[in-house]
Formats: sequence, structure tokens, C-alpha cells
Amino acid sequence: MAVKGVSFALESNQILGLLGPNGSGKSTLMKTMVGIMTPDAGSVTVQGLNVASSPIEVKRIVGFVPESPRLYEFLSGSEYLDFVATVHGLDLEARRERIPEFLKAFELEGRENELIHGYSQGMKQKLAIIAGILHRPRILILDEPLNALDPRSARIVKDLIHRLRDDGVPTVFSTHVLEIADAVCDRIVIMYNGEKLADGTVAELRSKAGTEGSSLEEVFLKLTGTSDTREIVEELTR
Amino acid sequence: MNIRTVYSLAVVLARSQIRGTQRNKFLARIFGEPRVILPVDLALLLGLGALGYAIVARMANDLRPILMPIMPKALAGIPSAIMFMAILFGVLYEISQPIQSLNTDLVNWLPMTPIEYVAGSTISESYIYSFVLCLLLGVVLGPALFFGMGWTWLATVALSVLALFVGAFVVEILDATTNRISSSFYKKSGRSGIIFRLIATVILLVFIQLLFSGYIINYLLQSIIQAALFAWFVPVVWPSLAVLSASQGNASNFVLFSASSAVFGAALFTVAAQFRARFWVPVPVSIKLTAGVYRPTKFRFPLIGAAESALIQKDLRSLTRRREMARFLAIPFVLAISIGISAFPLGTQPPPEAFGFFFIAILFALPVAIFVGALSMTSIGQEGYAIWNLYAAPIKPSQILRAKVLFAASLGLVFGIALLTIFAFLMHTVAAYYGMMLLIGALIVLETSTLGLYYAARFPDFREIVRSRYVGVWGSMLGLLTAMVASFLTIAPAAVSVYLYGYVSVEFTIATLVIGILISFGATRLALRQITRLFTNITI
Repeated sequence: MAVKGVSFALESNQILGLLGPNGSGKSTLMKTMVGIMTPDAGSVTVQGLNVASSPIEVKRIVGFVPESPRLYEFLSGSEYLDFVATVHGLDLEARRERIPEFLKAFELEGRENELIHGYSQGMKQKLAIIAGILHRPRILILDEPLNALDPRSARIVKDLIHRLRDDGVPTVFSTHVLEIADAVCDRIVIMYNGEKLADGTVAELRSKAGTEGSSLEEVFLKLTGTSDTREIVEELTR
Repeated sequence: MNIRTVYSLAVVLARSQIRGTQRNKFLARIFGEPRVILPVDLALLLGLGALGYAIVARMANDLRPILMPIMPKALAGIPSAIMFMAILFGVLYEISQPIQSLNTDLVNWLPMTPIEYVAGSTISESYIYSFVLCLLLGVVLGPALFFGMGWTWLATVALSVLALFVGAFVVEILDATTNRISSSFYKKSGRSGIIFRLIATVILLVFIQLLFSGYIINYLLQSIIQAALFAWFVPVVWPSLAVLSASQGNASNFVLFSASSAVFGAALFTVAAQFRARFWVPVPVSIKLTAGVYRPTKFRFPLIGAAESALIQKDLRSLTRRREMARFLAIPFVLAISIGISAFPLGTQPPPEAFGFFFIAILFALPVAIFVGALSMTSIGQEGYAIWNLYAAPIKPSQILRAKVLFAASLGLVFGIALLTIFAFLMHTVAAYYGMMLLIGALIVLETSTLGLYYAARFPDFREIVRSRYVGVWGSMLGLLTAMVASFLTIAPAAVSVYLYGYVSVEFTIATLVIGILISFGATRLALRQITRLFTNITI
């Protein structure tokens, strides 16, 4: 079992950061929230819709970016976005308006007619993010979205998430970079071995870990019981 | 040159190629270990040799007049055949690599020289094909020993190994050259470059497939030695000529051709190493389809929704733009030409009356069923790891079913009509029953596309490996069998009618229609259920 007994409610106007070491169940949880994995027990409700019984309706209102997204490399960037927009039901006018707009914002203008195969990892990530938000979702689920992004694009994504949050579009956001989680998220859920270890604002987590005034990294290491890093480094450099 | 580096690289490359192409996990584990290949090769060689010797010894009187004259040619043919095979399979391997695995960066980071790389790579390729070499050498070992041609056989062994390496060097040179040329070519030519690549790949695949048809192989084997004698100045036939000289006891020619072969091999190795050094790091291919601004269009296939249209358009682009998908486009050409050759052997003019309705219907239905079945059975697996795009999209299983079936069926119909029209021109029987054949063809296309989709969703193979089937072994076997049975059942009523009355009656036409519709309906229900199940839980 990859995830067990995890329960939380996401408010609108909230950015929730999912933190946890590799294999802690973050990606599984996110896939379950999108409806591409079915839980053995329990349920996920997105804006009043049960994911298991209404997966198509949920996918219409969710914007999802998986970790290391694989795209159709034989399509050009614009063809890929056109495909995603069409299957999300965007009409011709909306596609003609939004695709160039997003391409320009993420500095892919001029490269949109090249096959994705020739794109760098960062360009592919930008394309996946555009595909996730092109249909103006009502909730965003982003698995490590800032991977491989250049600083400018990363900033755009972070600002976009804040702006959407202000407009009532909540985001579930996973990352390994704790500074980013600290800067972006309103609330943090720490996962460990498939279970929810802690849930709250950074201040609440500090208090729970008994590490007032310390960084999120120290809180994380304390809560996950992995604070023996100094000994490991000593061992490696001996 | 560091021998240990060469050995390590050869082992890693051999493991990677065997494990990457062998789908059976058990066999991949056994034969993925190069240490296992050598004893297996030796056992095969000696086993076949002993068996051959026993058979020849037992039937010496009968076999002597047959085998004695052909033995020198058989031995001399092995070096050329093995070199030819190494080049063909080497090129096929390169063509079948999925776009994602073309990156050879890992090797580029390692501290090794081009000479070490080429040596390691060619040893690994020779090691992989050593199985075929031992098979060929094992078959001729027994008769060679019995008829006192042991020394010629030993010469064949040495020259065949050399020929195998020569073939591997040629593949290395082609690999390095095409890598750089194609990178520059695609960068400049864009969309036309993709079309050119598609046509060239299909032609190459058709050529290779036809070479392996029994008729052509027989023709080649008969003429290979004849050709070698005429083309003595072409270096690739020197190993065969050396063996032929050995069998004739012509020592001076044997030494001359053997030494020339060795020098030729060394020269090719040097060229391969220099090419590898020159084109060491592959240039990332960046293909621009058009210089203009991309404008989404209103285009939609008739009678279906926008999402289904988008899916079909995507699959068409996948089929025509991915090099590893070109083999599916080659299928209709290979089948049409193979059937043409079998039905009309070169230089003969068969009487059209000789073709009965049932025979023609099977001759027509088989390639159509195979083509549509191949497209349909691979339609889910060919999505590869990008399948998550469909999982995350708001597309219903019924929409996926419609798009995938229409994709395979429409291409199958085009192929079926073209094939039937060609047959009608060539055979009177087909012209007389053109309408009936068309109906049968359409029903078979519908049945095979829905049945194929069921197996595609039941046994999908999303792995992006070399020569991926995109459908599990069981799936492809069962799918092919079911498609054959369905086609047979659809043809049967019309065939029975022709047999009984000499024409296809209305009642039997209705029976054909009912059978076709029932099979298609049942297969659609099964496929839909399977797609729904598949898209409930992501498996990658």
C-alpha cells in the first residue's frame, strides 16, 4: 500500500505543499486526486464531485502536471497544446487566443513549430505546465512543477499559482525544495511512508516539532526522523 | 587501447541489446548474460555437427551425390551470408530504436577512446550474432568432416568470424555517418525531411522483409557464389572467395583472399574509429515543421467529436513521424508484394480460372486482417509512457474506442480497396465478385479493428524499447488467431454459396453480413469494457 489513512480538506484560496522523502506516496496521492488511480478504500472529492464516480467531470476542472511529464515527442509544441486544448473541449477561438498567449509568456514563442523531441527538459516542463493550465482549471495539482525550469519561468509559475489562489483556484503542490515550499505554500502536509505525518502552516509545524525559529528543512528532518545527515556526511568523507 | 575497457563495454552493450530486445524475462535473464552465450554457441555447434555427421554417415550412399557438389558452395556462402546478416540486423536495430533511446550520452561521458568504443561495440554485436554463425557452421560441420573437408571448414570458421566483424564495422560507419548527416538534414529540411525519412525507411524495410521471403532467399543462395565469382574485385566477397579457393586446394588464392580480407577488415576498423571520433557527440535533432505561425484549425473528421478527431490526428502523426512506427506502414507493401510473388511467380503467367473464390477471398482477407490487426493491437501500447496524457484528459473510454477503431479501420479500408482493385485487374475471379469481396473486406476491417483493440487494451506494452511490439506476446498471438478465425467465419457463407450454386445468393450475403456485425458488436463490447478497466488505474 503506497498511501494509507491520509485525510485532508483543501480550502479554496489555499496553496497546499506536499512534502516528503522519495517514495513517501506524494505522487500516488496526487494521481488518486486526479482520478488516474483508484484507491482501494476511502474517497476523494473535488469541488463536490466524487473522483471515483465522476472521473471525467473531475478531469475537466483539474489541471494536472505529473512529475517528469512525458509528452508526445513527435508533435510540435503548438500541436501538442492544440491536442490537449481540444480534448479539454476548448473551442477554436479559445485555442487561437490562449495557445500563443501562454507560449509567449513562457518564452516558447518561435520554437512552437519544432518537434518536442528537440526541446530541452526545461522547455518540455514549460509545455506540460501550459497544458495543465490552458483550460483554466478550478484546481491545480502540480507534482514537482518547478523541476528543470529556469529562474524566470519558475518565478512565473510561482506568481501564477499565487494569482490563481487569489482568484479562488487552490493548488496542491509537491516539491523537494523546502525553500520553495516555505515561500510558496500557505499550508504544508508532510508525508512519510505513505502516511500523513504533519499538517499545518510552517509556524504550526515548527511548534509541533519543537523547533521554534528554525528553518523548514530542520522541521522536516526532525519530523521525518532523518536528521542524521551530519553523521552520514562524516561517514562519506572519512 | 585498454583491453579491460573494451571488454567491459562489450559486455554492457551486449547485455543492454539482448535485455532490451528480449521480451521474455526468463530468456532475457539467461541470455542477457554474455558468459552464457559462449557455452550455448559451442553446444549448438558441436551438437549440430555430431547430428549432421551421424545422419550423413547413416545415409552416405544417398547423400554423397547430393552433398558433395554443393558443399564447397555452402561453406563459401557462410562468410558472405553472415556479413550480410550483421549489416541488415545492425541497420534494422538502429531504425527500430525509439526516439527517446537515440541519445548515447552515457557512453560519451565515460573516459574511453573512439578506438575502444568501436572495438567494444563491434565485439558486442559479433557476440550477439554468434548464435547464427554457430548454427550455420554447425549444420555444415558434420558433412564437411565426413567428406574430408575439415580444413576447409576451419578456414570457413576463421573467415566467417572475420566477415562478422567486417559487417559490424560497416554498421558502425553507417551509424556514425547517418547520425551526423540526418541531424543536419532534418534541421534544414523540416517537414519534407520527415516525409523523406518515412519513405526511405519504408522502402528499406520492404526491401529487407522481401529479402527474407523464402522465394528470394532461394534465389539469392543460388546466385550468391555465382555473383561472388563475377564480383571478385568487391572486398565484401573476398572471405567467400578465400573459402572457395581452400575447397579447391588453390593455396595461393586462399592466402591472397584471406590476407586481403584481413587488410580490408583492419581498414574498415580504422575508418569506423575515425568516424566515431569525428561524429562522437550526436547533434540533438531539432526539426522545425513550418516557419509560419501555427494556427489551430477547425478540422474535424466527419461523424465524430472534436476529441476523437484530435486523437486520430495525433495517431496519424505518430504513424508518419516516428521512425520506429514506419514498420507498420511497410506491412501493406510487404504483404502485397509477397502475395504478388507467390500468386504470380516470376516469369510465369497463371491462368485466372485457377483461382477459386475461397482462395482469392483468403488471399485478400489475410493481408487486410494482418494490417488492420497490427495497427489496432498496437494502438494503445504505442502511446508509450506519454499515455498519462490520456489518463489525465477528460476523455471517455467510448471516445478512445471510437478514435482507435476509426484510425485502424480507415487505413485498413484504403489498403483493402487498393489491394482488391489491383487483384481485380489481375484476376477475373475477383472482378466478378468485386462487390461481394468489398463487403467481406469492410466487415473484416471492422471485426479486426475492434478485436485488435480489445487485445491492445488487455495486453498493452508501454515500454519504449528497441523493436517494441506495443502489445504483449500473448496478446499478439491471440489477437492474430482470433482475427484469422473471424475472417474465416465471415468468408465461409459466401464461399459455401459459390461452391453450391456457383454464385453468392442473397441469403448467404445476409449470413455474411450478420456474422460480421455480430463479431464486431461483441468485440466492441469487450474492447470497451477492457479500455474502461485499463483507464481506471495508471500502470506506468
